Amino acid sequence: MKLNEKQENMLNGKSGEVMSLAMKTLVNYGDAFQAKRLVEITSAHVAGSFGIFAVKSYYNIINRIVTDGLKVKVPTTVNPRPGNRLHMVNQVVMNKQQFLENSFKKMGIIPNYSCACYDGVNVPSKGEPVAWAESSAVQYANSVLGAKTNRNSVMIDICSAVTGYVPEFGYMLDENRRGQILVKLKIDKMDASALGFIIGQRVVDKVPVIEHYPFTRVALKNMGGAMAASGAVALFHVEGLTPEAPDMKSIFDREPEKILTITQKDIDDLRTKDLSKTTSVVFGCPHMTLEEANDLAGYFNGASVKRPTCFCMTPAAKTEFEKSDRGQKVTAAGVKLYDHCPVAAFTVRRGNRHMLTSSAKCFYYLAGTDYGTKEDCLRACGVKS
Amino acid sequence: MRGEIMKMFTGKPIIKGLGSGTALVTKMPINFTAAFTKIPSFLPYMNSVIMDRHHELFYKRIKNRVLVFPACIGSTGTGLLLLQIITTGGAPSAIIVQEADSLLVSGIVLSDVWFNKSFPVIEYGPEDIYEKIKTGDRVDVDGQTGEIRVTQG
Repeated sequence: MKLNEKQENMLNGKSGEVMSLAMKTLVNYGDAFQAKRLVEITSAHVAGSFGIFAVKSYYNIINRIVTDGLKVKVPTTVNPRPGNRLHMVNQVVMNKQQFLENSFKKMGIIPNYSCACYDGVNVPSKGEPVAWAESSAVQYANSVLGAKTNRNSVMIDICSAVTGYVPEFGYMLDENRRGQILVKLKIDKMDASALGFIIGQRVVDKVPVIEHYPFTRVALKNMGGAMAASGAVALFHVEGLTPEAPDMKSIFDREPEKILTITQKDIDDLRTKDLSKTTSVVFGCPHMTLEEANDLAGYFNGASVKRPTCFCMTPAAKTEFEKSDRGQKVTAAGVKLYDHCPVAAFTVRRGNRHMLTSSAKCFYYLAGTDYGTKEDCLRACGVKS
Repeated sequence: MRGEIMKMFTGKPIIKGLGSGTALVTKMPINFTAAFTKIPSFLPYMNSVIMDRHHELFYKRIKNRVLVFPACIGSTGTGLLLLQIITTGGAPSAIIVQEADSLLVSGIVLSDVWFNKSFPVIEYGPEDIYEKIKTGDRVDVDGQTGEIRVTQG
């Protein structure tokens, strides 16, 4: 890799030993993929936001960065809180949460505490190089916003944020952002989250191009999140909808490597067959936006939920929703509003084994969940869908 | 050395180092975050056990094994989980992967740069990897040259 003079100096310790280690991390990371240079980034998103007691090596590195007084060089957002205050066990398991949050504050990270950082807080433009972690956010940045980021790991995000650089390889380069697999749809009743889950399983780490369907922003968010859980998709395109795919001709350089057809049956197979087992219902993963909560709110108007039900929302959306008339009707129906990550928060739970979720990402990560469409979930809540 | 050398072939070196161990082979991509963040994962003797119910290696231990798999999938927590497994002594002896991705590499780079602990990774794309290496075989890996030696288990 070729570094410029400023980068060379940082690597050689002119800005201190810790900065030099952060640079070395990025150089070695890039070297493994034959990156030719480090590029300047315009933003970062940090994924390691759960203060789980066990990941001591992570706290060791963060402590060295904070003690050395390093601060982020670009606007940097951070993933959700883990629900550490939800009950005693979580408080014990996540006993490093305060340390982590204090460290983020000292580093100058924006305390948005949401995986849906792109919802009004961290919104890069098309073509901008960024260094994001959090697989669902990477998907959104690449696919929906057209910004450029690799699937960066926890800690690579922080090394990039404090140096202001990321190695240029993979999805940072236009030639790797072209379509590889064509996805055809034979679906009567669209369920974007389930569709994402199935696409992720089948394409693993390729770039899928989905034939035109008028997905909403919320649907793109949930579909992308699922694709990055069941697979390793970093970038997808939707014909005539996402910024880099105005039409099939311009997104494919050559014939697709493979053509997949996803059917209604594929989606139905993912759904649980038995809603009577459901012990609670969870919405939101990635975090619900205000738009998403408002879309669901109508169903709960004047109703009363049959099973414990919660919305996991971005903290900003939760604050606004709570104050709104719609939000008050939803909470009056018995829905609990949270702003933590459901996967982290509900890993430890008593009883409540069969949580039903309309997020295929949550279904993948959280042990003991069943998957249901939005309609299935509303039915389990006992409200009209 | 036990047994007779059965096969020798070369892949693309990704991370340097020497590693030897018994092969643990799967054709399923691995989601390291889903595999290593369940409640038992935080017990010291369970830190290298795959706890992902969606995976065929559910309950298998990766410590000191030569792990052979197609690719990493899932969350960007992968690097952190690998870093944690390596620094707490649960690391595999080596990894042979069909496609080395950004997350796998970062975990090992982080542990190498910040803690001087690492193990070799070789990328070997062709599907015949699953013919060449079976679970239980003894495998020696040289991450500098990309050389892989397999002795039938």
